[in-house]
Amino acid sequence: MEYQVKNISANDFEQCIKCTICTVYCPVAAVNTAYPGPKQAGPDGERYRLKNPDFYNNALKYCLNCKRCEVSCPNNVRIGDIIQTARIRYDKSSPKLRDRLLASTDFMGSCATKMAPVVNLMLGLAPVKATMHGVLGIDKHRTFPKYSGKTFEKWMRTKAPDQSGFKNNVAYFHGCYVNYNYPQLGKDLVTVLNAVGYGVHLLEKERCCGVAKISNRLIDSAKADAELNIASIRKAVNQGMPVIGASSTCIFTMRDEYPHLLGVDNADVRDSISLATVFLYNLIDSGKIKLAFKPGFHTRVTYHTPCHMQKLGWGIYSSSLIRMIPGVEFEPIDSLCCGIAGTYGFKKENYPYSQAIGKELFDQIARAGVDYVVTDCETCKWQIEMSTGMRVLNPISLLAMALDVEATKKLNNVH
Amino acid sequence: MLRNSGGIKTKANRIRGSRLGISCNELKDHFVMTNSIKPPKRYDVVIIGAGATGAGTARDCAMRGLKVLLVERLDFTAGATGRNHGLLHSGARYAVTDGESATECIKENMTLRRIAAHCVEETGGLFVTLPEDSLEYQKTFVESCQRAGINAEVIDPAEALRMEPAVNPDIIGAVKVPDGAVDPFRLTTANALAARQNGADILTYHEVVDFIRSGNRICGVVLRDHHTGELTRVECDIVVNAAGIWGQRIVEMAGAKINMFPAKGALLIFGHRVNNVVINRCRKPADADILVPGDTISLIGTTSSRIPYDQIDNMTVTPEEVDVLLREGIKIAPALAYTRILRAYAGVRPLIASDDDPSGRSISRGIVCLDHAVRDGIEGFVTISGGKLMTYRLMAEWAADMVCKKLGIEGKKCQTAEIPLPGSESKEEGDAHSRKHHIIDMSTDQKAAEGRHGTLSSEIATSDVDDALVCECEAVSVGEVNFAIDKLHVNNLINLRRRTRMGMGTCQGGLCACRAASILGDRLNCQQKALYDLASFVNERWKGMKPVAWGQTLVEAQFTSWLYEGMCGLDRYQHNEQGNNQ
Amino acid sequence: MKYDTIIIGGGLAGLVSGILLQERGQRTAIISTGQGALHFSSGSLGLLACDATGKPVEKPLEHISTLGASHPYSKVGAEKTAIHARNAKALLERAGVSVVGNEASNHYYLTPIGLFKPAWLSTVDSAVSLTPDGAKWGKTAIAGIKGFLDFYPGFVADNLARAGLKCDVVEITTPELEHMRKNSTEMRAPGIARIMHGDALVRFAKAISDAAPAAETVIIPAVVGVDGQEAVNELRRITGKKIICLSTHPISVQGVRMQLALRRYYEKIGGTYLLGDNVTAGYMEGDRLVAIDTANLGHGSLKADNFILATGSFFSRGLVAEPDRIFEPVFGVDVVTEGKPHDWYKDNLFEAQPFVEFGVKTDAGFRVSKDGKTISNLYAVGSILGGCNSLKEGSGAGVAIVTAMEVAGLLAPEKKG
Repeated sequence: MEYQVKNISANDFEQCIKCTICTVYCPVAAVNTAYPGPKQAGPDGERYRLKNPDFYNNALKYCLNCKRCEVSCPNNVRIGDIIQTARIRYDKSSPKLRDRLLASTDFMGSCATKMAPVVNLMLGLAPVKATMHGVLGIDKHRTFPKYSGKTFEKWMRTKAPDQSGFKNNVAYFHGCYVNYNYPQLGKDLVTVLNAVGYGVHLLEKERCCGVAKISNRLIDSAKADAELNIASIRKAVNQGMPVIGASSTCIFTMRDEYPHLLGVDNADVRDSISLATVFLYNLIDSGKIKLAFKPGFHTRVTYHTPCHMQKLGWGIYSSSLIRMIPGVEFEPIDSLCCGIAGTYGFKKENYPYSQAIGKELFDQIARAGVDYVVTDCETCKWQIEMSTGMRVLNPISLLAMALDVEATKKLNNVH
Repeated sequence: MLRNSGGIKTKANRIRGSRLGISCNELKDHFVMTNSIKPPKRYDVVIIGAGATGAGTARDCAMRGLKVLLVERLDFTAGATGRNHGLLHSGARYAVTDGESATECIKENMTLRRIAAHCVEETGGLFVTLPEDSLEYQKTFVESCQRAGINAEVIDPAEALRMEPAVNPDIIGAVKVPDGAVDPFRLTTANALAARQNGADILTYHEVVDFIRSGNRICGVVLRDHHTGELTRVECDIVVNAAGIWGQRIVEMAGAKINMFPAKGALLIFGHRVNNVVINRCRKPADADILVPGDTISLIGTTSSRIPYDQIDNMTVTPEEVDVLLREGIKIAPALAYTRILRAYAGVRPLIASDDDPSGRSISRGIVCLDHAVRDGIEGFVTISGGKLMTYRLMAEWAADMVCKKLGIEGKKCQTAEIPLPGSESKEEGDAHSRKHHIIDMSTDQKAAEGRHGTLSSEIATSDVDDALVCECEAVSVGEVNFAIDKLHVNNLINLRRRTRMGMGTCQGGLCACRAASILGDRLNCQQKALYDLASFVNERWKGMKPVAWGQTLVEAQFTSWLYEGMCGLDRYQHNEQGNNQ
Repeated sequence: MKYDTIIIGGGLAGLVSGILLQERGQRTAIISTGQGALHFSSGSLGLLACDATGKPVEKPLEHISTLGASHPYSKVGAEKTAIHARNAKALLERAGVSVVGNEASNHYYLTPIGLFKPAWLSTVDSAVSLTPDGAKWGKTAIAGIKGFLDFYPGFVADNLARAGLKCDVVEITTPELEHMRKNSTEMRAPGIARIMHGDALVRFAKAISDAAPAAETVIIPAVVGVDGQEAVNELRRITGKKIICLSTHPISVQGVRMQLALRRYYEKIGGTYLLGDNVTAGYMEGDRLVAIDTANLGHGSLKADNFILATGSFFSRGLVAEPDRIFEPVFGVDVVTEGKPHDWYKDNLFEAQPFVEFGVKTDAGFRVSKDGKTISNLYAVGSILGGCNSLKEGSGAGVAIVTAMEVAGLLAPEKKG
């Protein structure tokens, strides 16, 4: 028989054999009784929604799109994608003002940057927080990441001439967080890559990767951003530059959510979009570059695997890279969701669940007794810093801290 | 068509005299617990067979004021009613070959939309012409439809694709017809409920093993309880044989002869909705040319092959049938080539030889209603057969007309086409509005239960414990299971499946059957029976999966046997199975 | 990334081989599509529970010498099978899985429907008995949880009564459990187990004591201790009763606990566990497999001296069935089947199903072949092997552990002393 050799269905939903393994690993169902769980919200519900879209259930909004269900599924059902696709397809309600604001990271960022000191002050004031909590529904416990007075892009433009003399070059997708809130991470990345002989370049145009817009159902806008990003990425790749980023969520979104949720075809460039730690690890592993570290550097760290990093399957790269640093004492913890999921945890209605989800992780971090928590995701960083009081670093920043830049340059014949 | 109106020799006063001395409610409650009836066991009419026709006849007779007993050797819909396409025919399928059937169909189609709203899904249908078929046929087809009063509208193939994206994009022609989907389980149950509401008694798992006779008159039946083996005598004025293909044996038991030709039809159930509009192939009726969306799944069918009469209880789907269903089905909806198949099953159509053909080869396609007094000289015995699911109500009407005529009752008109079935009563305007408003917040099981039971779903208990899902694939809650046990004649898992869809979903009982068996064990207070029932249910599910045991369907079966045999040890309950629980 | 051994499949067989190799100084990685079949393990592992006819076996080792040549135990050899079986308990203990039982004679575990089945090793909280009647449990109560559907007190009580043990059936609840039942789908055993610590556990213990004050033994659904044994011990301590946990359906807390413990131990001793990844291609040099691609890690990124195929049977996609063939999907290695598709499946689900015995073809040293040629460094362990009806025999766990130990021994012999 030439037919029935395999099943093909949207997001492989009919590969589901109802084993319920995904329900064991859903962080939301464990804390929020209103959420029907990944199996019921995903493949079970999908059968009903295919019968009649009226079967769409509002409780699907509680899915924080961590994809841990997908990672645990023995049959490769894209459960998270099924749920997010359903939200996009069947929830016809108009996103709230609050959701639009939270999702519009570029817009908010470019406004706030211009008046960073005022905005930072304002966002920290109790009456402002109360208003945001009461009127907008942004939880009062949350503190917005501080806006930087000068964007990373601006810094890069002043720095750009330095980047032209390298034999090897990469394009850097910095993301909104580095651009508006924390340019230092971008600067760290430039330092590290320059030291091993790679020039770093901005993409011709860069918009937010779209993760916040996707989770707040601003799909048309997310799609427009995605198309623009992929066009820029394609240009860079055609110029022989791989595209790297230091945020696991941005990279995951561009590699997998673009085709799966937004229908943006990235097949030709997907393999060229990578995470900085993966890029560096592979260069080291293949003997193309070498790193030298500051003598006497010592610190004790743990690595938190962000959900999207877990989905990418790349935790091994970041943790291996960290373990390469001679002065690092590494204390492993389980891969668990921190509960923030980007804008999810900022919403008043989700805040208690967000913290309940993260509790096990926070406890493990507390028990680990480390100087730093290292992680590849900026929203995980906010959540862990807020919830544990620990300092959280991107692996690239840790590397920059530990790296003996001059010695590394020498090792790699960089002048 | 045979509509035999034989002589009437019954006295009307006997009917009035045969009332039972107990109230319906008492009887109903009593029935639910024990599936038996109280003496004195005397009825105006005993109807054999609780398929759609038998249940419909029971409803009709009861609505006309007769004291009715409906008996079924297995469960409602255990025969041909539960093993067909679930197609709410517009009649278009028959228009070219059998105009009369087509006219009946479209009339009943419109009636069912009215009286059985919760059993019907108004999907619409398409007749598509493939490149390998001739557009000439479409012309004949449309003309025939118009003659039969079926609204058949030729549309652009591109428009057909917009209506139903699953249609083969290569089609060269398309006709829109008022097909739909009808759930035969719900339809039959609703008819049985209506009969009961009108005072009828119902016995399932009771087989007629003999007739009580007085001379050339049949004046009762001897019933054997399948569970206890006990024999009961029930007296009545008329017996209606609505046993479908099994009716041949009933006629023989009465001392007459009828020639039925069992035609086997095999179908495949796909794991989810492939299409939301019925797709028919516009050609002379042949194998695998109808794809029907039915509740959460889609069905392709059917094949048609004559089988020996002694094989009617032995339906298995052959690899050849699976092959032809797929090969032909893919032509109308290419997605069938790669959509998971949940199971395969086959049913038997009862075809009846025309009485006017002594060779027995000429088949009557329409409704056959026989007064055996006229035909065979046997008084008090009527057979209703032939026809199709679509015409069950009309068949019931004919049978009830004949019963009334024979009993000498006048002025009792058939009302079954006007009064809605239980569950299909129209809702208040306000209700519908507020429902629309809240639908996004309603859980899947609430919506699913409403779809299954219509207005009766309001009787399903809700609380945190009642809302818990027993069957996750088909969203059947504890409350719904208890409702089915209390109100819908459920005493085993197969009954429960037919009433609620429990175990009909993707996992085919892997998760839910044990939960449901546990509830049944407690409710019926017999744990061992429930465990035997569970083993038999799991095996019955496998029977349908086996012809399509590959890919995830095989994985599902392996998973199920790990859980039930490996983990639980349920295999110990496979021997010594108690009775036939079909 | 270069490893000594890469193991494809992260279930019982994959983890056992990974742990042993790692312990013996190898650098290993395990690639696992998702979570494995251990999640559905009752918590009682079987070495050989029954013979081919389904008759319970009392002394599994004695029976092993009578098995046919294709049986994985026969390939390992009866003597070595016995040695591996004896070592298994210590391995599980090292990983933090406390078990009772031994390889010399089977004990019995109580199944979710209240029957006794023979077993080899059971987690210490399982409902086990030396005789198939729970004779030593004393005064026993069965405590169901209100609204929890995956525990069947009626079945258990009825079957125990038939075995000669009359039990009281009680129903308990706590505020935490009632809160959980607000969710119509997600009151599942592992979910309950996640909240069963601290005050919630104390209240649960109190509910048990209140409902069954006189009972010495209380049978509860296994809804405690997903992360480890401690919560069960705590429950026993607070109630002062012998609390025994009956595994639930479909996910078993004891099974999840075993999976988590083995994986944590494997990672603790330096193993790399790549969850949620799929091997997409393999690269051969002569008769050797030298590198593999995975969906997440990309081209040729994983290299190793040896590879172990521990991808399980159909459930875990170790084998895949199409309408007219059964094949191994990762490398397309040779598979042993018998007869035509219509011979593969029997009408009665509970009959010995031929397809259960299908598996990859191996030489005497568990090396697989492709197109008839042996791949010299690709070994198969666990249920992908076939050659026996592990379901009928109750030998799935035993075959996984014994063959994993055997292959680990071939790749890295145990150091003496």
